[in-house]
Amino acid sequence: MMSFEIAEPQTLSEALALLDPEDPSVRAIAGGTALMLMMKSGVFRPTRLVSLRKLADAHTRIDARANGELAIGALTPLAALEDAPMVRSRAPVIAETLRTLSNVRVRNVATVGGHLAHADPHMDLPPVLIALRARVAVASRRGTREVAVEDLFAGYYETVLARDELISALIVPAQGERRAAYFKCTTRAADDWPALGVAVAVDGAGSAIREARIVLSAATSKPARLRAAEAILGEGTADAVLARAAEAAAEEADVMADGHGSAAYKRQLVRVYVQRALRRALGAPGVNERAQR
Amino acid sequence: MAAGRKTIRFTLNGKPVETEIANHHNAVEVLEAFGLFGARESCAQGLCGCCTLLVDGKAVSGCLYLAAFLDGAVVTSVEHLERDGALSPVQEAFIEEGAFQCGFCTPGFVLMVEQLLDRCAAPSEDEIRHYLSGNLCRCATYPQIIQAVQRAAEKRKASAAA
Ligand SMILES: Cc1cc2nc3c(=O)[nH]c(=O)nc-3n(C[C@H](O)[C@H](O)[C@H](O)COP(=O)(O)OP(=O)(O)OC[C@H]3O[C@@H](n4cnc5c(N)ncnc54)[C@H](O)[C@@H]3O)c2cc1C
Ligand code: FES
Ligand code: FES
Repeated sequence: MMSFEIAEPQTLSEALALLDPEDPSVRAIAGGTALMLMMKSGVFRPTRLVSLRKLADAHTRIDARANGELAIGALTPLAALEDAPMVRSRAPVIAETLRTLSNVRVRNVATVGGHLAHADPHMDLPPVLIALRARVAVASRRGTREVAVEDLFAGYYETVLARDELISALIVPAQGERRAAYFKCTTRAADDWPALGVAVAVDGAGSAIREARIVLSAATSKPARLRAAEAILGEGTADAVLARAAEAAAEEADVMADGHGSAAYKRQLVRVYVQRALRRALGAPGVNERAQR
Repeated sequence: MAAGRKTIRFTLNGKPVETEIANHHNAVEVLEAFGLFGARESCAQGLCGCCTLLVDGKAVSGCLYLAAFLDGAVVTSVEHLERDGALSPVQEAFIEEGAFQCGFCTPGFVLMVEQLLDRCAAPSEDEIRHYLSGNLCRCATYPQIIQAVQRAAEKRKASAAA
């Protein structure tokens, strides 16, 4: 690693002032779990790291707003998100997903903001948060804006954020009747990067589905909603409908072949895992769940 | 001070310390500079747990932890578990169960097990496996490690009752 400067601003506005819209070698560092790997491998050679650590006190709160939304500070460690009773009761799928996200040490250090800004398509929370209609608050010297997590990712390891913008919070709306589930499939070892992840959320009681979201990750260059499959669920939750939705998902998914499997294999995984995730979300035990018990 | 360097102050195994670091150093390199070799960098990617240390009471992978982040923190390494020459119940349990062969992974496992038992006094086998899934033992002493965790839980319970 080359020589670089570490700045330690005390406030969000000081941090924003230290970023540089033109210079890709200046970056924020939160937990550093992703950046350390990129620096060690030489993919990223910084001239300045803007450490967000001293902002942690002000940006690690998890608040329930009056309208039922959860507002989660960007520097909240993933482990704190996993353990928060409010998250477990209001969006249990987030806590369930975190259980198998990396390991205890990474979750102790990695932050919500760093997780979302890293934009590695293999990561677990982005598809789940898209299914839950979550959004992020983004700050810059120009002011603040909100971006739906669905619109945050521009491509492989790319977000729509400008170099001088920071995520300040994650907002998860009240889930109401929405039921959600996430599955990932690893093809080598259990803790390997997944060949695919599928998050689903169905809104509506029983078999009357008002809205469904089906989000695919890992097999695609960025998390992607499978809208043809989502539309089919308007017809209900009968087995034949779920099977047709899974078929549509396999057809529309823009899967990539890589070391985790060929495109044809991943298409088959989509077909199987979309059905499993839908069944789990709808409350019937999914096949995997039965197998695991 | 030279560019790319920094002075940090923190509490190391109960004592206040100060040292100069290069900005690109990680926490394992800092411990080594203090003559502490229990945390070792092995996979260098956060996967194996050989480099485990506690920062403000939480386990982290030293290989992925920027040295500068230690400034102001309370840092504990495996060397600090021993008290007045006596090993901790977890350390004793690892020896009694023979939960290692070469011992390279052991400091990391021991620190993780201390954390696990602080969180949950009597973990199930499933909880043990899940909690330790981010620690690798190349000698594959996993069955003995699980027995050691169970034995350590009993030892802690016994000493709490005493
Ligand atoms: C061993 C290991 C295993 C892993 N396994 C998994 C897994 O199973 N599933 C999974 O989902 N992920 C996994 N990960 C990835 C992990 O989730 C990310 O490394 C982590 O979430 C990044 O968070 P951080 O705070 O450490 O980010 P950093 O490394 O600090 O930053 C990452 C990126 O985000 C930027 N950034 C940081 N904070 C902000 C902010 N507030 N606003 C804007 N930009 C910001 C940085 O500039 C950088 O580009 C694994 C990582 C490791 C090391
Ligand atoms: S050396 Fe740090 S986790 Fe393997
Ligand atoms: S005892 Fe040799 S690596 Fe675990």
